[in-house]
Amino acid sequence: MKNYYRQGYALVLSFALFFTYNSPLSSQNLPLKNISGTITDAEGPLSGVNVLVKNTARGVISDLEGRYSVTASLNDTLVFTYLGYKLQEVVVGISSIINIIMQADATALDQVVINAGYYKVSDKEKTGSISRITATEIENQTVLNPLGAIQGRLAGLNIVPISGVPGSGFNVLIRGKGSILAGSQPLYIIDGVPFSSQTLSSQDVSGSTLPNADFSPFSFLNPSDIESIEVLKDADATAIYGSRGANGVILITTKKGSKENTTYAITAKSGLGQIAKKQKLLNTQQYLQMREQAFLNDGIAEYPSYAYDVNGTWSQDRYTDWQEELLGKTAYYQDYQASISGGNGRTSFLISGGYRNESSVFIEDISYKRASGLAKFNHATADDRIKLSFSMAYTHEDNDLPDADLSYQALILPPNAPNLYNEDGSLNWEDGTFNNPLGALEGDLRAKRNSLLTNLLLDLKLIKNLSIKTNLGYQDTNLEEYHTLPYTLYPPQYGFNSLFSSVYSSVGNGSSWIVEPQLTYSYATPKSKLDALVGYSAQNDRSSTLTQYAEGFSNNAQIMNAAAANFIKITDDSQRVYKYQAVFGRFNYTFMDRYIINLTGRRDGSSRFGPNNRFANFGAVGAAWIFSEEKPIKSNLSFLSYGKLRGSYGTTGNDQIGDYRYLNSYGSSGTSYNGTIGLYPTALYNPDFGWEINSKAEIALELGLFNNRISTTINYYHNRSSNQLVEIPLPATTGFGGILANLNALVANNGWEFEFTSHNIDSEKWKWTTSFALTIPRNELLEFPNLENSTYANSYVIGEPITIRKVLHFTGVDPETGVYTFEDYNGDGQISTPEDSQRIVDLAPKFYGGLSNTVKFENLELQMFFQFNKQLAENSNIFGTTPGAPVNQSVDVLDAWTAPGDRTNTQAFTTGSNYERTLASINFRQSDASFSDASYIRLKTLSLAYNLRNLITNSSNTKVFIQGQNLYTLTNFKGQDPEQAQGFIPALRWLGAGFTLTF
Amino acid sequence: MALILALGGLLLGCEKALEPDYPNYLLSQDAIFEDTATIDAALADIYSGLRDNSPITGGRTGIAVLLGLYADELNYYSSSSETDNAFYNHTVLPNSSAVFNLWNTSYTLIFKVNSIIEGLHSSPLGEDEIDPYLGEALFLRAYLHFYLSQLYGDIPYIETTNYVQNASVSRMPLQQVYGKMENDLSLAKNLLPDMDNSGKRLRAAKGTASALLARLYLYNGQWEKAWTESNEVIATGNYILESDLNNVFLKESPSTIWQLKPEMDGYPTMEGQSFIFEFGPPSLYALTEDFITDFETGDLRKEVWTREISDGTESWYHAYKYKQNMFSGASSEYSIQFRVAEQYLIRAEASLHLDKLQEAQSDINVIRMRAGLQPTSANSPEELMDELMRQRRFEFFTEGGHRWFDIKRTGTAAEALQPIKTGWKETDVLLPLPQNELLLNPNLNPQNPGY
Repeated sequence: MKNYYRQGYALVLSFALFFTYNSPLSSQNLPLKNISGTITDAEGPLSGVNVLVKNTARGVISDLEGRYSVTASLNDTLVFTYLGYKLQEVVVGISSIINIIMQADATALDQVVINAGYYKVSDKEKTGSISRITATEIENQTVLNPLGAIQGRLAGLNIVPISGVPGSGFNVLIRGKGSILAGSQPLYIIDGVPFSSQTLSSQDVSGSTLPNADFSPFSFLNPSDIESIEVLKDADATAIYGSRGANGVILITTKKGSKENTTYAITAKSGLGQIAKKQKLLNTQQYLQMREQAFLNDGIAEYPSYAYDVNGTWSQDRYTDWQEELLGKTAYYQDYQASISGGNGRTSFLISGGYRNESSVFIEDISYKRASGLAKFNHATADDRIKLSFSMAYTHEDNDLPDADLSYQALILPPNAPNLYNEDGSLNWEDGTFNNPLGALEGDLRAKRNSLLTNLLLDLKLIKNLSIKTNLGYQDTNLEEYHTLPYTLYPPQYGFNSLFSSVYSSVGNGSSWIVEPQLTYSYATPKSKLDALVGYSAQNDRSSTLTQYAEGFSNNAQIMNAAAANFIKITDDSQRVYKYQAVFGRFNYTFMDRYIINLTGRRDGSSRFGPNNRFANFGAVGAAWIFSEEKPIKSNLSFLSYGKLRGSYGTTGNDQIGDYRYLNSYGSSGTSYNGTIGLYPTALYNPDFGWEINSKAEIALELGLFNNRISTTINYYHNRSSNQLVEIPLPATTGFGGILANLNALVANNGWEFEFTSHNIDSEKWKWTTSFALTIPRNELLEFPNLENSTYANSYVIGEPITIRKVLHFTGVDPETGVYTFEDYNGDGQISTPEDSQRIVDLAPKFYGGLSNTVKFENLELQMFFQFNKQLAENSNIFGTTPGAPVNQSVDVLDAWTAPGDRTNTQAFTTGSNYERTLASINFRQSDASFSDASYIRLKTLSLAYNLRNLITNSSNTKVFIQGQNLYTLTNFKGQDPEQAQGFIPALRWLGAGFTLTF
Repeated sequence: MALILALGGLLLGCEKALEPDYPNYLLSQDAIFEDTATIDAALADIYSGLRDNSPITGGRTGIAVLLGLYADELNYYSSSSETDNAFYNHTVLPNSSAVFNLWNTSYTLIFKVNSIIEGLHSSPLGEDEIDPYLGEALFLRAYLHFYLSQLYGDIPYIETTNYVQNASVSRMPLQQVYGKMENDLSLAKNLLPDMDNSGKRLRAAKGTASALLARLYLYNGQWEKAWTESNEVIATGNYILESDLNNVFLKESPSTIWQLKPEMDGYPTMEGQSFIFEFGPPSLYALTEDFITDFETGDLRKEVWTREISDGTESWYHAYKYKQNMFSGASSEYSIQFRVAEQYLIRAEASLHLDKLQEAQSDINVIRMRAGLQPTSANSPEELMDELMRQRRFEFFTEGGHRWFDIKRTGTAAEALQPIKTGWKETDVLLPLPQNELLLNPNLNPQNPGY
């Protein structure tokens, strides 16, 4: 592909140069002679280089071996140009052989070739909005999941981890949430194969530990195998993905083999991790004080028999820091990589293997293990007519998960709760007075997954300018998981035995294939260039899940043997098929190297829609004007090395509504009558719903200053999601509350994106680069017919973002009664939800981004990446703990109300028997007091590397490094971690070291 | 671009390639009605819906509880439920969740029934196979509309699954609704077997349709027809009045015309769970003091069908018709919808209006004597009517809202409730239509008076 591309450009450039240098001053009547030579770069022969005799019309292009031959006179000057390389001029002189080594131009925008999915484009000439991150930035991180590695680094891309448990997933949004009901996941494509981001895990099995049972499918991909990740955002870039482009597209490209000598690389790294922050909770003395006051307030003189914490059942002198005890372990990871890569000019290969082992901070020993392999093979025939590339990635993951995330337990266990273990090492239930949190860990939760992703790309040049290309992909994932619940997780006082032991197990399979033949055509004239593409795509996805519950074993040792169970129930047995077809095309025209127009379109068909709406058309137009190429600017604004204004408009669709929704079908109710399980019509039959339509408009300014030392992009985007697939509210006389149909609801996502890179210092010894990305998004629900009467009335408000929550408004603690008060919006004298839940809090970030600095001094390299986010989030008040209740609480409660006239933010303590205060505490949880500023700046990545050159052999590189992740967070947030949903373990702080050996 | 469109045209040819097969966990509407086993399952869903989530459920959201509070049967001892409070105090509002729930669960089931009726009409199966199911479905449609009409007055009678039509329906005058019910029930009667095939009176049979027809005619003052239908039910001999009060509510009782079986064997009835309490003061409901003191001396129903709970100083009574309220090895009771005693009293009432006083007296005495009482001494029409209503009150208390519907249809609600319910208004005879429904379908206006 690279070669192909080089040639295309060569052609264009040569014409361009003709145009530029064709001046009448050229002719000199000196004799012409033949000059020949070889053009190389650091990697070897360079084909497609333009060789031009200055001030003449004579020029050639170097061949595949880098050879050229041209006629020129003695005092002529040869000009060598190639995309991404510095221009070289050589006076011919007496020699007839001139060999040239081209120097890569590090700051050349042309050099950056961007993967746009079905085609590639140079950064300079792109008309769409595509952000990119490459291996250099990914490699320096210790993360397990590639999605974790790009968090904060790209404008417009908001990534939030859902838990810090190894293997858990991420919420990913590109340019905000546009859909009310349908999914907002981007389309992921790995090496040309669409990759399903849906987990195959079952809620029954791993849902107890992983939020949404999201054992992220992306963790199969070893971040070290990634060459680049491109994020397609605007209509120009995404319309070619039609019905799946609305939420943006993330393209992941794996590494390729090199075309020169065989290279061996070995990387080993290892590190330790811990919880970054503990919450300040009451110590035993403070806690008991609170509890005693609570009883006093409630007028209970004698402590009840069940108040073990205060009535003397438990020691009043014990103190345990439960956060330390339950979440205080030091986590570790080990990561090993080895690769062999090599080839010659036509063929290259890469074989790489990796192994990773990662644990967590839970008191329970757990570990995530991943063995991954990647094989790549590229070949081009001698005449360059046929090119093929093959890749295969296979990964085995074995995730021994904790049975339960004890993060919440660690915060609420009374500080004087008893020992976890008896002296003999068994669990201590303190005679049934202590609900030992480790009981929950008695089971075993394990998920094993095998993932295969393979792809073959065939490129056949039919005639000059016309090629046929075919992309074939296959993906297969299977997941097996189980969660045992032995009777020992209950206190022995219950008198349970193995007849009460149970196990959930689940098997999930997902596979898909894709076939995409394409025809590409390119044609160039001196002034212009045309690229065209048409293609066809067919895809078929199958997935199935089988979940089984077994209960009652004669012995716990039999728990994995469902055949030995007294009772077995299949809780889920579902198989789904998703079929998809499309034709797509692209037409790109560049005039005079500065006026570019790009048309893309797609006609899509999806099995998710009924026969009447199965197909839809999508398209976009993008245009760019490289104004820095205009003469007046070029000659007057010399500091402006590059300037481009681009814009695009178009439509994309969103079909993330699940399969089979339009069928007129009956499903099983699961409820029986006289032994027969009922069947019922699952929904109102609407065969006519269609795609959500997302129209996207964008305008952007790209600038390169001071020889591209400083480059910046400023984007403004304006997306509108219409034809929203929602449950349209219907009167109950229809039998349902609504029908899945397209509604004229309109959601807007507008925003600014800034990307900035500066090469502050660029000398032989010193290099310092700064990059900055910032996104300021704004989401708004513009229209929603009949919102007030719909089931969405309590969720959305016209004119507000769709990420809001409607909650009670906390108005402080009544100084007279010491009870939380709230605003009574409807003035009925009572606080009730949802009637008084009229306060709006928006949980979408106000702005977010990252700042990255790389400093190189000779062989030493320092990388620092800060991520920041301005947002509101649920704080620890969301636990709804009543001040005074028998659970540990934040030290903030120490200022609780005690006597009339007290002005404080914590209401008077109660044991829970004061009805008014308990009710107020429940309301408090459902009020805006549960949301607070969760803005933060985080030192996300820090790495320091030293390169010991030639340590082993002359061509060897030995890099030693230390890497840190989530090292420091600056925040005012009242809770554990500002980006983590409360009650789950947040991403850990990691520090590690390792080396890479290349020879 | 032209090429793309041309290729797009080709794609249309491949449309069939995108037609998905039904997944294993769904069945097409058509497939359901090709097999009696799946038709059976579709009906099973209606019966379980009636039992668990409909106006006639014995649970706390059903009319046995709500109308017991609304009328003069139950006292409410908690304040935790806004719904219960509103019914007890007659402060029901159009936005009440219970008002919506009663309406919504009915129409949800009606949709399912209509889906079955439509499916049966296009089923490839033979008439002899389909007819009993069609009969059940028609009966169930009438049964659900019956309660809606009693609760809300003029209501839409829904006979299609077409949501466009159903989303803009208007209210139908009550007499028309009754006509539709009569029509459905007459058809059902002809299609249904004499006894349901479970042999346990778990599903609608001919007698069930007759029993509902008899009640419908009674409520509508069609005395001749009421007499004929109730007489027909009694005369079949399929339903025999159980002489031992202790056995009336057992699942084997021969007086039961139709009953709903709990989901799992061993489960108690929802009624048992709603009404029975073990300690005083009651946490939710107990029978009113007036109800207890109004029992005629010697009425065995007080002894057998109620239970006294005392905390030493005070005592309360709960309905004790269903005696099982906990899980046990086997369910001893099912939730009874129709029993033959009602048919005796319907016939008695019809006889009264048809001037067959002796016949009326004799039917009333059947019920009295089973309760251990002497034959009634009443013999004037007025006295007999009073006695009849008294028997209905003590025979059917806390069953399916009988008491409320009786005082409502006989115009005696004000007399009974004015003295005891401060919130009582004449317009309380009908519940308000759910507010949200009026907003979503303005054709349902006007709202019932008083709301």
